Amino acid sequence: MLEINNLNAGYGFLQILRDVSLKVDEAEYVSLIGPNGAGKSTTLKTVAGIVKPMSGQVLFNGDDIGGQPGNRVTRLGVSYISEEMNLFTNMTVHENMMMGAYTVRDKNAKNRLLDFAYGLFPRLEERRNQLAGTMSGGERKMLGIGRSLMADPKLLLVDEPSFGLAPQLTDQVFESLDTLRNEGKTILVVEQNVAKTLSVTDRGYVMENGRIELEGPSSELAGNPHVRKVFLGI
Amino acid sequence: MLKSMFQKIFEWLKSAGGITVAVSVILLALATWDQGPYILVNTVVTGGMLGLVAMGLAVILGVLNIAQFAHGEYFMIGGLTAYYVITPIQNYLTAHPNAFLAAVAPFVAMIFATLAGAIAGALTELLCFRPLRARSRANWVMNSFLLTVGLSVILVNGDLLIFGADFKGIVGYWQGAPLSVAGVYVSIDRVMAFILALAIVIGFWVFMKYSRTGQAIRAVAQDELGALMVGIGLEWIMVLTMALGCAMAAVAGASLLFMYPSYPTVGLEPLYMAWFVVILVGLGNVMGALIGGFMVSLLKVLTVAYVGEGWQFVIPSVLIILVLIFKPSGVFGSEVRGVLDQ
Repeated sequence: MLEINNLNAGYGFLQILRDVSLKVDEAEYVSLIGPNGAGKSTTLKTVAGIVKPMSGQVLFNGDDIGGQPGNRVTRLGVSYISEEMNLFTNMTVHENMMMGAYTVRDKNAKNRLLDFAYGLFPRLEERRNQLAGTMSGGERKMLGIGRSLMADPKLLLVDEPSFGLAPQLTDQVFESLDTLRNEGKTILVVEQNVAKTLSVTDRGYVMENGRIELEGPSSELAGNPHVRKVFLGI
Repeated sequence: MLKSMFQKIFEWLKSAGGITVAVSVILLALATWDQGPYILVNTVVTGGMLGLVAMGLAVILGVLNIAQFAHGEYFMIGGLTAYYVITPIQNYLTAHPNAFLAAVAPFVAMIFATLAGAIAGALTELLCFRPLRARSRANWVMNSFLLTVGLSVILVNGDLLIFGADFKGIVGYWQGAPLSVAGVYVSIDRVMAFILALAIVIGFWVFMKYSRTGQAIRAVAQDELGALMVGIGLEWIMVLTMALGCAMAAVAGASLLFMYPSYPTVGLEPLYMAWFVVILVGLGNVMGALIGGFMVSLLKVLTVAYVGEGWQFVIPSVLIILVLIFKPSGVFGSEVRGVLDQ
């Protein structure tokens, strides 16, 4: 579904990604792990059309989406969820959700997506008239994911779902990602919480200094001596 | 139910915005009682158009994060366009009186002026701000501000070069005796300017609140990256916002042509007044700008009535300095990012 070939990207003159190649198949749950500053977020941002690639290919269902503006990428079915969520803080939860469906024109489809998202996060429906800016960290995370689901994405790019959350809430967020995967969504997740991520995903890529250093099934990576030493501290 | 509503109103009255509005209303009432209803009429009539100019400024500030100092020049463009549309028609009308044409002509002039403002705004975004944004977003607030100052110089001198330095004004759009409002004679032009401002503001509010595009504009104002993430095309929204904001200044310039004849630097006064409003209510607060328009207009009317004509810019300036010292976020606070550097 998503195929990145020899991608180089960065900000201005600063190159972050060096020859990154990775692949995510349909209905797969893939993680991209690595230390701070390795380029994980930049990889997601490049796919999402926020960072322009310097060279290389980003193929989504065969189309090269590298360098296309973010709104085009969203329209094609790729939803990016940033670390800080980028909610519309002065709109209500419901208005945020409806903005999420900006690319969906059909009213019935909108209602169906809304039912699905509220079904996944009943909390959001309870808070539908609250301003997004006044919600707790966990609720904002739910809203961020819920809002992205409103665009009816085929591929979800989730940046640091555990960022700024208590362990219990982190588990909840991962559970909801699990549910989405069971619903047939393809997910590429970036995380620093390596142990947790490798225990739930199918496959993983390890990124260091802008390069993919290791890849393989999550269970294999969790047993890899390098990963164990550097990330799991065992 | 009723009690909670009272409670809410009471709470709001205790906020900075509530106090300011309440004080303004009381001042207006006292001055009207003291000096006569012309205070009320003058405040309301000029406040509507000032609100319109300030709203355009606020929406550009909120969505594009640009401190627009060329806003007065779109006011000038609106007046100029209206002048060149209405004058030939009025000349024709003196030779061939025609009631229908006389009634329609002002609207034609204003529609042309609005279009001219919108096109000028869109071109400004496409030719000035988009290239700047593509080059670098570092120091955006400062760079875009300097760009607007340069743009203002170019537009003012372009006007001077092409159309000359003379005053291009009209006596009035509508003929007929002034209307008597609460014992004060108000020209039809002023009444129409107020009605027009009101209609545009209501239309704009409905557009921003309920239309898909209007909601997208609000979304971009609140979080640009978030807007991109939900699939909103930023480039289109920015062109549209610039066009809308400038069109609002242009329509104000056109409908006030009978008060402000068009000449190259006519935009300076509305620009300053609009900035007073925007700073008073909070940068980027669009609906607050309307209320602020009435408040600043009241302040001006009161200054002229009690202190003297020469003081009409001094007193608002003092107020702005006080606001900047004690409540830099403006009396209503802001719904949007306002001016911040990325």
